[in-house]
Amino acid sequence: MTLKISSLEVGYGKRQVVKGANLTVEKGELIGLLGSNGSGKSTLIKTIAGINSQTKGTITWNGDTDLTRLARKDLARIVAYVPQSIGLSFGLDIREAVLLGRTPYFGTRPRDEDWAHVDAAMERMGLDELGDRAVTELSGGQGQRVLIARALAQDPQILLLDEPTSALDIRYQWQTLEVARDVTRKNNVAAVIAIHDLNQAARFTDRVVFLQDGVVIAEGRPAEVYSPELIKRVYGVDVELSTHKGFVQVHPLSEHGHAQLGLQPATSEPVRAPRLAEQREYATA
Amino acid sequence: MSSVHSDPLHPVAPSGRRRSTDLYTSQKLAIALGFAAVVITALIGIRIGTSGATLLDVLQTFWSKISGTVPTDRATLLKHNVIWELRLPRVLLAILGGAALAVAGVLFQGLLRNPLVSPYTLGIAPAAAFGASLAIVLFGATAGSAAISLVIGALLFSFLNTALVLSLASTRNLHATTLILVGIALSQLFGALTACIQYFAEDEVLAAIVRWTWGSVNNSAWYQVLALFVLLALAFPYIRFRSSALNAIAFAGDDSAKSLGVAVSQVRLQTIAIAATLTAVTIAFTGIIGFVGLVAPHIARLVVGANHRFLIAFSAIIGALLLVIADAVGRLVINPGVIPVGIIDALVGAPIFLYLILTRQKAIE
Ligand SMILES: Nc1ncnc2c1ncn2[C@@H]1O[C@H](COP(=O)(O)OP(=O)(O)OP(=O)(O)O)[C@@H](O)[C@H]1O
Ligand SMILES: [Mg+2]
Repeated sequence: MTLKISSLEVGYGKRQVVKGANLTVEKGELIGLLGSNGSGKSTLIKTIAGINSQTKGTITWNGDTDLTRLARKDLARIVAYVPQSIGLSFGLDIREAVLLGRTPYFGTRPRDEDWAHVDAAMERMGLDELGDRAVTELSGGQGQRVLIARALAQDPQILLLDEPTSALDIRYQWQTLEVARDVTRKNNVAAVIAIHDLNQAARFTDRVVFLQDGVVIAEGRPAEVYSPELIKRVYGVDVELSTHKGFVQVHPLSEHGHAQLGLQPATSEPVRAPRLAEQREYATA
Repeated sequence: MSSVHSDPLHPVAPSGRRRSTDLYTSQKLAIALGFAAVVITALIGIRIGTSGATLLDVLQTFWSKISGTVPTDRATLLKHNVIWELRLPRVLLAILGGAALAVAGVLFQGLLRNPLVSPYTLGIAPAAAFGASLAIVLFGATAGSAAISLVIGALLFSFLNTALVLSLASTRNLHATTLILVGIALSQLFGALTACIQYFAEDEVLAAIVRWTWGSVNNSAWYQVLALFVLLALAFPYIRFRSSALNAIAFAGDDSAKSLGVAVSQVRLQTIAIAATLTAVTIAFTGIIGFVGLVAPHIARLVVGANHRFLIAFSAIIGALLLVIADAVGRLVINPGVIPVGIIDALVGAPIFLYLILTRQKAIE
């Protein structure tokens, strides 16, 4: 089964933001959606989730299901969406916040089956230890995990994650990415994750898609598509690539042409913060 | 990454230590107890009054009305009439009005995702006040505030206001902030129009207008009780049916609620229409009773939590209790006089609300 997006155009008012995007995601595949701020990643994801509507193009699932024509409830049983910003308010407890993911499945009264999904999703995101705390009492990262658990409870066939790791500490970043990959494989889900960290994308996703100004300009396995030229074109920064344990890694280039890693470079030159002039160069490049 | 569990996500039986169930025992218990409390305070409320009445009198009145037997001695007949024609409608109006305002408050707070919102946020109260004022000017202040012209004037302008708010805000997809801002603008407009009337009005008209805005159940009538009862009975099943959609809108936001399968604009439009109708009809009968619609949902949240599945019913109970008690207090304090329930309600409600804000801020936010 395939999620297929063809010549998709989406805009806000008169302004087009997604300008003819094409993309296919296979079942069991995790796609990294990359691109600079404002390139249209969130807009694309929200359109697949049925939050925005497209002006042109099609989104199909399984060949013959036109997702843009499905009733909301039916769409919500196929597609789950984890928003970029955390929007939790009032005092639901965590369990009930995760139960929101079951909204498309039950009427007034959740069934045992719904609660079973909630328990499984909570356990998976390490939330059962937080017990019945109110959502308002959680840290940003814990809140983010609640949102992911909510999406998992939705039991989706297509999982869309919009920068799910931005608020998380490194442990939960990795764990979330692993959960995303795990769910993708085990539940045979087609997953798209918008992500800014190129190295994490290389490490955890099967394929990456570069979005620029609403158009897909490159896609493929990270090791194959990452190139200094592409990254310069998308982000306007000079980088150097290396391979670590089989995964391609991206490092920024210093003015002297060697990569600035977190570690000391091979020369004994001390690590220093870039001068203002260099930063400005990055900003305007 | 040992903490990542490897069990598949399709659960047959939950694998966790703890298994979630749908019991919600404490919530259901709270609702049952609350309902009992409403019945008890109502019976007490019916007894209060200048001529006094025992519980037996109240029950005898019920029985004579049900069985159709007319008491033979005049004193008993009079007593029964006082209970049936004066006490009972006022207590029932307080119960139903309090419940209606509280339910409207919960709906508005959830739909607009804002804990400071009340049934009057969209400007219904100033619009109703203008309608009532207009009726007083046109048809005279002596007609008494139970007069049908007052009720119709208030209703008419409440609905006009709601229609205006909804149609103006629908140009922006009924966005919560837009609704609130349009409501503020219309509140100001109707407030100014009422002020105009008051400015040029004669003393007696002015007094009638002010009396109306205090809010009371002094002019209760059976038709009002009946109208509110029917309205609530019709609205309740729908609201209950929508409770999970309301949860999604209130706690996940518009975008996520859509992705959870909720037709957000449609639910918001229908639910606001219902909440506005409940508010409009109530205040057309009672005048402007503040606070209940704002405070009752917060008190209810503290007890049963924020889940609309239980919150709506329990808010209705709290709203009913608040008004029945406020009305009883208002009749006791300066017996044989009556302090309007709206005034007592605000006098009692404000400290409660302050207490909640200062001690239980989490629950309010
Ligand atoms: N609700 C909106 N109304 C109008 N314009 C919008 C709206 N949301 C986004 N845009 C515009 O659409 C463009 C794409 O935004 P989008 O959020 O899709 O980018 P993004 O790739 O997700 O960026 P980021 O990496 O910052 O999350 C931006 O120029 C943005 O200003
Ligand atoms: Mg984004």
